[in-house]
Amino acid sequence: MSEQATQKDWNSLDDEEFRGIAAAFFQRHVPQHLRHLSRRPRWAEVKDWYLTLSKHGWLVPSWPREWGGMGLTQSKILVYLEELERSGAPRVMDQGLMNIGPLLIARGTDEQRRRFLPKILAGEHTWCQGYSEPNAGSDLASLRTEARIEGDEFVINGQKIWTSVAFDATHMFALVRTDKTVKKQAGISFVMIDMRQPGITVRPIRNIAGHEELCEVFLDNVHTPVANMVGELNDGWNVAKALLGFERIWSGSPRQSMLALLRLQKLAQASGKVGDPAFADKLTQVTMDVLDSAAAYERFAQIMRTGGSFGFEVSMLKIWATETCQRVTELMVEAAGDLGALLGDVDVDGEEMDILYPFLECRAFTIYGGSSQVQRNILSKNVLDLPS
Amino acid sequence: MQENTLSDAQQQIEMLRESAAGYVGRNIDMKRLRASRGTLPGYEAEHLRHMAELGWLGIVVPEVYGGLGLGFAELAVVLQELGKGLMADPLVPATFAARVLLHGDNEALKQTLLPRLLDASLLPCVAWQEGLGSLDTAAIETRVEADGAADLLLSGAKRFVAGAAGAGGFIVSARGATGCGLYWIDAKAQGLTIHHEQRADETPSGLLQFDKVRVTPSQVVSAASPEGLAALERALDEAAVLAGAEMLGVIEAALQMALGYMRTRVQFGKPIGSFQALQHKASDLYVQQELVRAVRDEAVHVLDVDTPTVERVRMASRFKARASDSGLRITREVIQLHGAIGFTDEYDAGLYLKRALVLSAWLGNASAHRRRFTALQQENGI
Repeated sequence: MSEQATQKDWNSLDDEEFRGIAAAFFQRHVPQHLRHLSRRPRWAEVKDWYLTLSKHGWLVPSWPREWGGMGLTQSKILVYLEELERSGAPRVMDQGLMNIGPLLIARGTDEQRRRFLPKILAGEHTWCQGYSEPNAGSDLASLRTEARIEGDEFVINGQKIWTSVAFDATHMFALVRTDKTVKKQAGISFVMIDMRQPGITVRPIRNIAGHEELCEVFLDNVHTPVANMVGELNDGWNVAKALLGFERIWSGSPRQSMLALLRLQKLAQASGKVGDPAFADKLTQVTMDVLDSAAAYERFAQIMRTGGSFGFEVSMLKIWATETCQRVTELMVEAAGDLGALLGDVDVDGEEMDILYPFLECRAFTIYGGSSQVQRNILSKNVLDLPS
Repeated sequence: MQENTLSDAQQQIEMLRESAAGYVGRNIDMKRLRASRGTLPGYEAEHLRHMAELGWLGIVVPEVYGGLGLGFAELAVVLQELGKGLMADPLVPATFAARVLLHGDNEALKQTLLPRLLDASLLPCVAWQEGLGSLDTAAIETRVEADGAADLLLSGAKRFVAGAAGAGGFIVSARGATGCGLYWIDAKAQGLTIHHEQRADETPSGLLQFDKVRVTPSQVVSAASPEGLAALERALDEAAVLAGAEMLGVIEAALQMALGYMRTRVQFGKPIGSFQALQHKASDLYVQQELVRAVRDEAVHVLDVDTPTVERVRMASRFKARASDSGLRITREVIQLHGAIGFTDEYDAGLYLKRALVLSAWLGNASAHRRRFTALQQENGI
């Protein structure tokens, strides 16, 4: 590729032209052995692919071009993500790309941007997100990891949990308690922490699918300069909320349930279950649920494309997409009959497939990123205007 | 949700929405609706005249026949607003008939009947189902047999004919020697007797008996042939989508009613809407409502652009299944959210449930459409 993607004005193309270019790019560059993995690969395995993206300027669709991004509009970012997903590309360390990078661009200081953004592009800094704590899950604002100011540094003590891929991260952005005397949301600050220092202990947690991706992170007298704070002291709650822009629609995309449905259809064909009318009706029901999930997603994506805005009603997307995905995988286990209790790849009439992994994996979808119940609370209060 | 720039088409849709919403706001009258229950023809003649004046009867009728020549997206928002006021009848049955005529190949009949429909001087209806009802348009026993050189005699029974009580004539499906066809029969034709069954919302549905009713060549909408019902099938998909569009309005009004009640009804010293169990139930109903809206958008788009038949059928079934299921679930749960008052006849929640029952069953309920979708998936190896 002769031309750096960051120098191009992609937004002058229409979405479908861009889709074609993106599809071709991923088709050409995603390494074969990393496509359609059923697990999240370690950083060492995907770093080369990450650097390939970076070299061509295709690493960050959302950042402005002046910072090395592609400067795409929201709707083209969606196209980018959809095509990336379709290509079967593995997930890379993306907290820097998706979260802290855009946040620094929007709310960071110039010094912070200059210090951190190029390192993300170069793959030198990899980020994880330190939000949840053992006693602060859905009630995130009750977090207790404490940061004390000593001179021009914070000294941090506490524990984070459910931190994805912390073992491969060089840095963590975290919400920490900086004032215990005020309303819980008003005493939180947003800090960036270098994890390569004494006092940081990372312990992986094995999940029910048998994978180790989530971690506990212990912080014992960990230091970070006050200059690594994003936003004002005690304004971290608002800073974190500002991060949630794009994620709100992407977390409700139908991609996971569509993948699950493809697997279910394959299983139904291979096992002959399609011929069973009772099963066929259930299959049709979830097929429609998935297609309707896509229709709902498309409706919000369309609003985004036409430069419109939406509010909390977008929570309906995540509820429906994730719960639909679960129903698809539940039907897969049911369709498998006795095979539905076997671990790992099983042979279904010549077709190798892992029946249980999708079922187990997607238990997490309705928990992370605001559980289904939290989403319903959001709808009740902010959309349906129900009293508290 | 807000959009910055509205295209011309969107502006057109917004204008129609406002016009219909204004009409419903001025004319909604549940007292009158209750009083007319169980009476014929099941809608107000004055209301039908207004629909004609506002052009709604011709939204999807081409301009050459005097219609507005707009799309299903436009008609859907009008039905949605009318649905909120339980005032949509007989717009969907009339449009269903207009579309069968339009998809058929009897140009003279189009030119005679469509202008009369548009000025509300004649309401045509489609009589296509029999017995227990089925989405299979060819599952019929009504027959035509030749009488002399050119005429046919049509005999049989039709059921579930929405709008029949006010109809000036019917498009009737029947089997002939060379396949099935569609025939226009005047409501006053000799040999036709019309009875009515009462639907859940106490509006009538026609039960038609044909005894050797004469059909002349000018009354053939679509001649008997292996493809003789194609016009009906296409219009059926369109009408199913329109019934779903009306259902969205029913859903919205019912859910709003429940939410309003939850904000004000106090028990245990608090508005019941503050209880999380009820909040989550209401949220689930909202999710269903928004799904119906999203799939409605997709469905009207599919009808408004040129779409291969298989895609059109899949889409219509997907939407009618969603609208039927969600409509019933929401209006049922709305009764539950109200408690005892919701169970009374004097409270409006029951009216919405009963309309949802009618719209859900008419033109195929959710399981009928899922069966049709399944068969199509299997035929096409999807």
